[in-house]
Parts: sequence; C-alpha cells; structure tokens
Amino acid sequence: MEKIRIEGVSFIYSKGTPFERRALDGVSCSFEAGKITCLIGHTGSGKSTLVNLLNGLYRPTEGKVYLDGEDIWARPKKITDIRRRVGLVMQYPEYQLFDETVYSDIAFGPKNLGLDAGEIDLRVREAIAFVGLDEALLSKSPFELSGGQKRRVAIAGIIAMRPEVLVLDEPAAGLDPRGRREILGGLTRYVRERGITLILVSHSMEDMASYCDNVVVMKDAKVFMQGTVDEVFSHPDELDAVGLDTPEITKLAQGLIQAGIVLSGALYTVEDVRDAILRYIGGNAQ
Amino acid sequence: MNDYFIRCENLSYIYEDTGESAIPVFHPALDGVSLNISRGEYLAILGHNGSGKSTLAKLISMILTPKSGKIYIDGTDITDETLGEDAQYELRRRVGMVFQNPDNQLVATVVEEDVAFGPENLGIPSDEIRKRVDDALSLVGMQDYKRHAPHKLSGGQKQRVAIAGIIAMHPDIIIFDEATAMLDPIGRRDVLAIMERLNREDGITVINITHYMDEAARADRIVVINDGKTLLDGTPDEVFSNVPLLHEVGLEAPQSAELIHALREAGLVINSNAITPEGCRDLLIRLLSGGDR
Amino acid sequence: MISDITLGQFFPGSSILHRLDPRTKLLLSLLYIIGVFLLNTPMAFILYTLITLSLILASRISMRVILKGIKPIVIVLIFTMIINILLTSGEGEPLFSFLIFAVYKEGIIRAFFMAYRVIMLIVGSSVLLTYTTSPIALTDGLESLLSPLKLIKVPVHLFAMMMTIALRFIPTLIEETETIMNAQKSRGANFTEGSIIKRARALIPILVPLFVSSFKRAEELAVAMECRCYRGDVGRTKMNKLKYRLRDILWLTVGALLFAGLILLSVKSAELSALGEAMRILFYKI
Repeated sequence: MEKIRIEGVSFIYSKGTPFERRALDGVSCSFEAGKITCLIGHTGSGKSTLVNLLNGLYRPTEGKVYLDGEDIWARPKKITDIRRRVGLVMQYPEYQLFDETVYSDIAFGPKNLGLDAGEIDLRVREAIAFVGLDEALLSKSPFELSGGQKRRVAIAGIIAMRPEVLVLDEPAAGLDPRGRREILGGLTRYVRERGITLILVSHSMEDMASYCDNVVVMKDAKVFMQGTVDEVFSHPDELDAVGLDTPEITKLAQGLIQAGIVLSGALYTVEDVRDAILRYIGGNAQ
Repeated sequence: MNDYFIRCENLSYIYEDTGESAIPVFHPALDGVSLNISRGEYLAILGHNGSGKSTLAKLISMILTPKSGKIYIDGTDITDETLGEDAQYELRRRVGMVFQNPDNQLVATVVEEDVAFGPENLGIPSDEIRKRVDDALSLVGMQDYKRHAPHKLSGGQKQRVAIAGIIAMHPDIIIFDEATAMLDPIGRRDVLAIMERLNREDGITVINITHYMDEAARADRIVVINDGKTLLDGTPDEVFSNVPLLHEVGLEAPQSAELIHALREAGLVINSNAITPEGCRDLLIRLLSGGDR
Repeated sequence: MISDITLGQFFPGSSILHRLDPRTKLLLSLLYIIGVFLLNTPMAFILYTLITLSLILASRISMRVILKGIKPIVIVLIFTMIINILLTSGEGEPLFSFLIFAVYKEGIIRAFFMAYRVIMLIVGSSVLLTYTTSPIALTDGLESLLSPLKLIKVPVHLFAMMMTIALRFIPTLIEETETIMNAQKSRGANFTEGSIIKRARALIPILVPLFVSSFKRAEELAVAMECRCYRGDVGRTKMNKLKYRLRDILWLTVGALLFAGLILLSVKSAELSALGEAMRILFYKI
C-alpha cells in the first residue's frame, strides 16, 4: 500500500526571475507504507527539493502530493497538520538546536502539537531512549554535547512528534563508521518496530543495500529508476551512468561468479557475500 | 635520524572547554603521540570522531600549541617560542590546511579573488599573483569559474577553490582535515584525485585526515589514532589486517578485508590478507577452487 | 522565498562605466549627489536630465531595469508629493482649494522638484555605482579613497575586509536562515499566526541556531585566514591593483566641468554678482 504518492510534480525556484531554475520536472513516484525507501541521487538531482515537498514546506509548481490518498494541498491552511504527520529531519540537523536544555529542545515539537505536560514528558523520554542517549543528558545544554550526540538529540526532536512518515536527509553525513551504524541501525530498527514509513536520503549504495527495501533514483530533476533494491541493482549499467557505484563487495562477488564460483542470493553486503560463500562451500561438501 | 620532514615528539594536548558552563572541562585530546613523516609522503590519519586526529593536524599547522612535546618541520622547531613572527608566517605558508566545511574557508566574493588571498598576504607582486592564481585554478579544474561567486558553487567545487587558494601559496605540505566529509561522492572523488595528483606530480607531502576507509586505503601509509594515542602505524595492508582491533575502536576495514575477517570468524582458515577487491577475489578463487583446501 | 532577494544588484558587463576605476565612479557619484541638491533653475534641470540619460546610455543597462529600480519607491514618492502639494502655501491666489486645503503653484513645483531629485538620486547612484561596480571593486575603491585616513589611525583596511566578508557571507546566511526556518516548521513551529509577542517569541528557535552557527563560522574562518598567513595589511599586496587610466582622468575632468557649469546655472545672477563683489572687496583688502 502506498503511503505517499507524488504525481506529475514540477518545482521551479525563483520563478519569473533571471535566476529561475527547474529543480523537479514532472516527477511521479510513490513510497510504500511501513517500508524503508532510499532516495538516492547526486547533488542537484532534485532529491532535496523533493524532500521539502513531502511535508509541505514547498508547494509544487505543478502536480500533486498525496498522503494516504489525500492531496496535502487540498486545504492549504491545514498544511501544518501534514507537517505533524510527515516528520522531516534535515541534513546536519544539529544546527537547529536552540533551547536551554536537551529536554526542552526535544519537547519543542510535542509542545507545538499542544500536548499536555505528562504526554510530553513521556514522549521526550521515549525519544531519547530510541536514539540511544542517556536520560542524564536531558538536563544538559544541547551546545555542550558532542557532534554525534547533538545529531541524535535533533532526531529525537522529530521522533517525539510520533510522525507516521519519517524523512531523513542524510542522517549519517560526516559521522565515523560506528556513528553511522548506530544512527542508521537504530532508526531502521525503530521504524520497523513501529511500522513507520521511512524515506532515507543517501549517497551511499552501501547504506541502501544494508538498510532499505525500495529505491527511488533521481537524476536531472526526474525520477531515473524506482523499484526494490534487487530490481535497481539488477541494472548496474544504468546505475553506473548516473555515477552510482555498485558496492565494492558486489563487484567482488561478481568477479567470483565469473571465475566459476556460483554464488546465489542477494550479494550487496559483506554479510550477504559471506553467507553466499558459506552456502557454496556447504553445497560443494555434500 | 634528522631526515624526516616532519617530526612530532611525544605530543600532548588538553582541550579546556569553557563554552557554556562556568566550570572548565578538560579533555585530553592527544596523549604522547610521536610521528615522523618523510618528504613527499602520502599519509592518511584514521580515527573516529573525537579520537584526537584533528588536534594533531592543528598542532602541525600551528593553530594550536602543544601542552608538551616538540614538532620539527624541516629541522625547525615550530614550538619554539622565540621564533620570530616572520619565521612563523613562513612556516604557515609551507604548511597548507584544507578544512572540513568548504563554506567557512572562502573569504572573497569572487573565486579568483579568494585564491589570490593567500599570495596577497605574502606580499607577492601583482603579476606573479595573477599567474599563480591562474595556475592553481587550472590545476584544480576550476579555471572556468574564476569570476563566479563562491556561494553559487557545489560543495566539491568550493573545496577545490579552497585547495587552489592553498596551492597558490606554494606549500610543501597540505593537510586535509576531513576535507571530504561534507561532500557528495562526486565531490569526494574530485578532491581525492587532486590530493593524489599534488602528491605524485608536484611532490607535495599530503596528510589526509579522514574516517573513510576507502580513502585511507589509497595512501602510502596509515596512522590510526585512538583516545589521543597512536594505535596502528603501517602500510594499508598491515593496518587493515587488524580488523578486530579496528572494530574495537569504532572503525572498519575496506569491504574486502571485512569479508575475509567475516569468513575467518565463520571458521574458515585463510592464511593471507587482501584489502582490494582484486586481491580478495584471487585469494578466494584459490581458496574455493580447492587449491588451498 | 527569501533567497530570491538579490543584494547589491550588480549587473556584470563591459560598458565604459563598468570599466571605469571604482574610485572614479565613487568621486563622480559624490559630485552627482551634491549636484542633485544644488540644482534649482530650469536650465540646470535640463542639463541634469541630459547627464543622467547619457550615464544610462553609457552603462548599457536596459531602461526596463532602471524603471524596475524606481518601482519600489513609487508609492512613497506619490504620497510625499501629495503631502507637499497640499501643505505648501504660496504667495498669490491658490490655484484651487477644497476642504481645508489650498493648492498653490509653488506646492506643485516643489513636489515635482522633490520627486525629480529623488528619482535622479536613485537612478544616478545605481547606474554609477551598484549596477556597474562589483561589490569587491566598490570595497577596494573605498579602501583606496579612504586610505589617507590611515595616517590618523583609522583602520581602513579592517573595515574593507569586514565589508568583503559580510558580502561573502550574506547569501550563505540567507540560505541558512531558510534552512533553519524549514527545520523548525517541520517541528510544528508557526511564524505567521498569533499576536506580535507570540510571533516574536517564535523567532527564538531561528535566531539562536543562526547566532550559534555564525559564531562557529566566524571562528573557523578566522583560523582558515590565519593559516593563509593573513596578518592585517602588514606587507600585503593586491592581485588587481587599482590604476587610474586616461579614461578615468577624462571622466573626472568632464565631471568636474559639468559640476562647475551646474553651479553657474543654479546660482542666480544676483547672487553671482554679490559673490563677485565680495571677492573684489576681499582682494582689495589683501
């Protein structure tokens, strides 16, 4: 079932000025409910613009955005309701922290929803646990935290609003490998538990292979490809044409297959290939 | 041996954080690090966020002064407090630094004016600056953008302009302090290619501070910093064969090395290591076609 | 969108005005502005209109752009004209009167002159300066013209550097403001509803992150500048040295002559003879 559907959407920046730029050009795609979809494409491909259209920060110049089958711009005055249902975490979200304590910063969103203090408290504590931070940090100033901790607090601020759809624009940008794994692993576990629809903007084919179900590939303001991870990976030449490299491990596995070592199943992560090799050895031993 | 271009002896540094809270907090960032770098070397420094790797870079480029220990660049002790101002600026010229955020290192409103900023500070004659700026911009492939405004460029392009600004000062060493962390794959690839060309063709000593394993794997030598100490120091092959140790300190190895490690964990006996897909493929073909088993 | 605002409004080109030394243009605009306030005879007005028209022609900037530049002040202009017409009293009979107002010939003339001056001021200074001079050239020109002030310890170089950095970072900060606004909107913040106090409070989540990141930027920029051997204007050279050329000398001479002519046209003959009388007395005394 589709949660969000984009239909023939175009978006033009600075329309009618000499700086006019078409960032999206007749884009149609959909995001399945309860699934993790990877939105991939290069800087300038239009993916960031698309993200801002998903929760009504931008209004399409042409076309429609549907949430649960309803046009989100049917009643423009009610667009803030859409923003509550579709939570957006921007790139480098740590730069949006502003309040005196971590607690009040995470509570900013829930407060704007008009919840009572008890409910807010519950949600703040739940959110901070989900991003893997200690409750002792709640009384600290967000500006005292490390970069990675700030990032998690910012993500907790959106999670505390309990959105139905979570859109994350490169949540792991600039983090070291462990930080990446913790953030992406934690988030994907959380959305799977809650049945939340997750849209993950990423540059990394490795992330896409490890965490996502579906993929939307953007190129030059258009949707270039969309489908399941398997479907998209089965077109390596097209991926290459948009400058998206097949993961190193997949290339390695393909090299093995060419040499007559027949590996089967998905071959996108180190674990995939390890298991395939172990299966191959097991098969030969019989 | 005095042949090393950069010698760091027993460096320690402590951050005193007096930010928002009134009580200063002390974070030991470096704790007795010694490191020698040869002229023309291509070195990667790996470490997780907060490991102290950026502090090391800031000490070598004289942004920070070590709490203890000595740093020699080409025989000159840069920690010497009696060093004259001109000598200090000459050392600054020789050690170029490219930072993480491309936006926060461009000064001027026009690309070529920005590249000229360093040479202008050095008091170089106008004609010579013009020549250096043009050369530096073509070296990074940004000559067509010389009259552009920096804020209209992509992250990767801005970073290339920043590199041109350093090149125009004719440095001996360029330190890239997580210079690719904020870039998309294309920007990252471009910056990495320039880095390597500067090292190979112009003999510039390159220090790439990063937490991308694939970048580090391309260097001549990798130093892994953890908790302010040198954890590993060796060729990429040597460093990346220590997969369990890397995992322990929050790092990874390239996927090929990770795969071999994972197969070993699963009980396979593999006697050699490989960090490139090609090497790993050959090793696995030998192993799986029964030769080694 | 805020990023639609274009600051400085420099139109790159290669007209004769574009190629003049910025100092020449600064000096000419100074004369031009003084001139606008001196003129008060019909002949002077005709001369001034001709000068302005030739400047527009010399800049090769289209009339449409020029008119667009005046557009924002048209309403203010009409309003002040009406006030001038209604509130100026003259000597003779009023032309006509209604309610409590009487309209005199003097009022109409005054209103017309006022509007003319304002329009000339805007057109002249934009054609001479902002439209045809890049911000960086303008800064260099100012620094050079004001450099004699260095003798009395005015940090002219620092002011120029501050101006350059400000111009460099204005677009970055505008972009950042928009990003932070979108981030807070995504957390349910509302900037357009409620009382003035409520709206002012709603700005805190934007201003705090903006300040924090500006300070961070400033710090990083300072370090980067120091690494590039910046030490004020100690031993500093410039890539593009400002140089007066023959055309600058010609333009300045013509400008000075026109200015002198304007003074002659504007000062009434009676005053002129009084001035001559005063000079004669002065010389006799010596």
